[in-house]
Amino acid sequence: MSILANKDTRVVIQGGAAGVNAARRMAEFCYLIKRPLNVEAFVYPPDAGKTNEVPYGSGLIAIPIYKTIAEATKNHPTINTSLVYIGADRAMKGGMEALDDAHIKVVSMITEGVPEKDAKLLGAHARKLGKVFNGPSSIGIISAGACRLGVIGGAFDNLVLSKLYREGSFGVITKSGGLSNEIIWICSQFADGITTAIGIGGDAYPGTDYVSYLEMFENDPQTKAVVVVGEMGGDLEERAAEWYGAKKRRVKLIGVVSGFCQESLPKGMKFGHAGAKEGMKGEGSARSKSDALKKSGAIVPATFGALGPAIKDTYQELLKSGQVKEPVEPAVLPRLPKSIEEAMKADEVMVAPLIRTTISDDRGDEPCYDGYPASELINKGYEIPHVIGLLWDKRLISKQDAEIIKRIMMLSADHGPCVSGAYGTILAACAGIGLSQSVAAGLIMIGPRFGGAVTDAGRFFKHAVDNKMTVDEFLTYMKKNHGPVPGIGHRVKSLRNPDKRVKELVGYVKSLNIKTPCLDFALQVEQVTAAKKDNLILNVDGTMAAVLVDIGFPVDSLNGFFILSRTIGLIGHWVDQKRQDSRLVRLFDYLVNYAAPKRREVPPLK
Amino acid sequence: MAKVLEGPGMGLMKKWGIHVPQYAVVTSADELSKLGHVNDWMKQSKLVAKAHEALGSRFKLGLVKVGLDLTGAVAATKEMIGRQVGSITVSQVIVSEMIAHKEEYYCAVKSTREGSEILVANCGGIEVESNWDRVKRLCLDVGQAPSHEALEKLSKEAGFTGSLAKKMADFAGKMFSCFDNEDAQYLEVNPVVTRENDGELVALDAVTLLDGDAKFRHPDWNFQFAAEFGRSYSKDEMEVMAVDSKIKGSVKFIEIPGGDTAMLPAGGGASVYYSDAVVARGGKLANYAEYSGDPPDWAVEVLTEKVCSLPGIKNIIVGGAIANFTDVKKTFGGIINGFRKAKGDGKLKGVKIWVRRGGPREKEGLDAMRALKDEGFDINVFDRNTPLTDIVDKALHK
Repeated sequence: MSILANKDTRVVIQGGAAGVNAARRMAEFCYLIKRPLNVEAFVYPPDAGKTNEVPYGSGLIAIPIYKTIAEATKNHPTINTSLVYIGADRAMKGGMEALDDAHIKVVSMITEGVPEKDAKLLGAHARKLGKVFNGPSSIGIISAGACRLGVIGGAFDNLVLSKLYREGSFGVITKSGGLSNEIIWICSQFADGITTAIGIGGDAYPGTDYVSYLEMFENDPQTKAVVVVGEMGGDLEERAAEWYGAKKRRVKLIGVVSGFCQESLPKGMKFGHAGAKEGMKGEGSARSKSDALKKSGAIVPATFGALGPAIKDTYQELLKSGQVKEPVEPAVLPRLPKSIEEAMKADEVMVAPLIRTTISDDRGDEPCYDGYPASELINKGYEIPHVIGLLWDKRLISKQDAEIIKRIMMLSADHGPCVSGAYGTILAACAGIGLSQSVAAGLIMIGPRFGGAVTDAGRFFKHAVDNKMTVDEFLTYMKKNHGPVPGIGHRVKSLRNPDKRVKELVGYVKSLNIKTPCLDFALQVEQVTAAKKDNLILNVDGTMAAVLVDIGFPVDSLNGFFILSRTIGLIGHWVDQKRQDSRLVRLFDYLVNYAAPKRREVPPLK
Repeated sequence: MAKVLEGPGMGLMKKWGIHVPQYAVVTSADELSKLGHVNDWMKQSKLVAKAHEALGSRFKLGLVKVGLDLTGAVAATKEMIGRQVGSITVSQVIVSEMIAHKEEYYCAVKSTREGSEILVANCGGIEVESNWDRVKRLCLDVGQAPSHEALEKLSKEAGFTGSLAKKMADFAGKMFSCFDNEDAQYLEVNPVVTRENDGELVALDAVTLLDGDAKFRHPDWNFQFAAEFGRSYSKDEMEVMAVDSKIKGSVKFIEIPGGDTAMLPAGGGASVYYSDAVVARGGKLANYAEYSGDPPDWAVEVLTEKVCSLPGIKNIIVGGAIANFTDVKKTFGGIINGFRKAKGDGKLKGVKIWVRRGGPREKEGLDAMRALKDEGFDINVFDRNTPLTDIVDKALHK
């Protein structure tokens, strides 16, 4: 048996993230005691209509979220308990809503910092309705082997260590959340564990006092003794003493009170919970409470440390008198499934990785590119071309190579609105499409006829140079095996109207004292092809390709230089259209050669 | 509980229709002189000047001067401003009119478990403190307002008669309104006096304790709450308060000069048991501290630095019960960082550290603490199997 929380307790949780976390903890307990999850619903208006996923064992349970308590209890009529995790400024409204619902008999408020007046109003309202209002600032309520409300009991390992999977003989009432766990642990080590432990909260006027709970414990035959952990301030301990001393009680009462240090502190200095304040005339001091408890016949250890032995003595007496029997521990307890991360950390599982990477890692406090921290690269003067070198070719390129890449990018960043890529982006932008899609519309134009010849040009020039071909051999080889030479030829530029970008790049690279076998070869090819036809010149793709191969970039990365550079221009075109608020573009009929058949009659369907 | 100084306290009473003397809170003698030009009452009545600080025994300290004219009040203000009393520097003076009166009475409203209690006595000043049986009470449930009849009955029970009984009932009713509407926890006027010129009851002094948790619904509380222990907060205390106000969970820190046992325990409940254990062992507390509610590690680090900076400490008690949801590894991470910083700054020389804790990720947290031994810390680490306050016994064992 237990009090307040038992196997029939069905819960609605009012609140957001903190409530979901509590539900997780509650699910761990339910899993430990092999019972279904006791949380039926959440009430949290911002997420109403959605569900919260709560892990249970190795699976997930979807718990619906409602806007109001009434909706929750209408859909889940077994709900009889509410846990309130709503902020202090709205906690009273939420608590009242729960109390006013006919299904709900117990409301436990976890919220801290609730105004005293609100707490009193909630307590009074609950008493009027014959319900229980526990808290505010309550850590929760737990009945061993039956029901957990809130995070009381702590982590899964602690639930097991404190033997919360099965009933003991000791009731626990504390104001402090941390100490509730400590006492549960002590009861499990010095005695047979607990029946129910209740955190009533550390506020000055908790909704339900010790006496109400002592009455409930008195009427619970399984509970043989109750441990009360008190604090200076208020008169709850005195009232408990009064109750205990009033007549012969079935349960034994063990009590400790904190706050003796107050006697040797500067006047007016107070610590601890909000409720831990001495009265104006010395009432509510630790000493007066402790004395009152002793006088009532309760067992009052001198210090907190002596509590364990006192509980042990009480337990031994109970054993001797035959009121309790040594508990039988279950042979096997469920173990909480580990997450993959935990299991891997403990060397318990091996996982075959899904993908493999060799270029970057951001699991630390900043990304590393091929092992080099980004901030260090910045601080040591490296620039974007070096990052390209690291991520595309896994090497730190020289300052000179970086300068070449920078120039290539600057020369190919944009080529006006009429080329396929920019035109694609502009059309999309005018249709109201977003940035990434519009830029993608431009990028998909990059291919064999537009900008996408860099890789192939590089590949063939490299092939020729590696195989020490002459220009003639190369042209024959190309004609026979592949067709026109990529990187040679331009739609509008020619020998007489040269491409300034090519001139610029070739001039720069030639001015450096480096070996450029591919570029040299490409220029020789141009000599021959341009002599045949004026516009068969080395174009910007071919120039870039030859230079990039010369400075060591792998051929497969070459198109990337054009894609990357041109993306700068495409973004510019999108932003430009957006800025102008451009209208939808439609082709004019006169720009289309309508070569389709003339209008004709549709034959009957056969 | 949040204490409010006399000026704002009287302001709240005035708001609810209670007669209070004319008053002004000034920060310089010059300001008072200027106010004297525009406020007739300052020229026409005798004045009282009091240091407007959270100080006890102001009379004995010479920080209350009565029966002054404006020139006298300006002189008194000049003398008081800037005076150093302990850690407090007087920065404000409240100047109010003296109310000529013969009889003194008492009225208070206090919070009770059921609701509140209105207290009335037909004696006041120090007389009421030695005649507590003359105080009559009216108990009210929360949400219940006192009827006029009940108030008059209370007033008569306390020995008021005739029209004075009605006036006292009315006064007590206004005190209750102020208490109830301003989320007060304690309101006391001692003395209440009859103003000779019009026979009205006037509140001469106000003790006002408000519920700090209700601040969210009182946007007009534009005053600072005062420390309740007869001194102002220290710089380190204020820094920890500033951190506390920003975080999930809490960190608390109060200095106790002259102590040698520094406290860095977890939990509002356990921290007091640790303090008790120190006192019971004959130790002298150097501070109170507490962290709870799974605070961020940086907040615990700030708290740790403050604890390590306490002068003359010999032991630091890093105690705690078995946490429900405070992550031991994370919060200990904050403490460890704080310890390292303190050591780097040349602190913690000859200081012994005592640790006991349980809760989520306790093993990792305790292991990290144990590892500090290798960095040269004098640290002793215990787990849940050592009873809560035994580390205090070990630390203070002679």
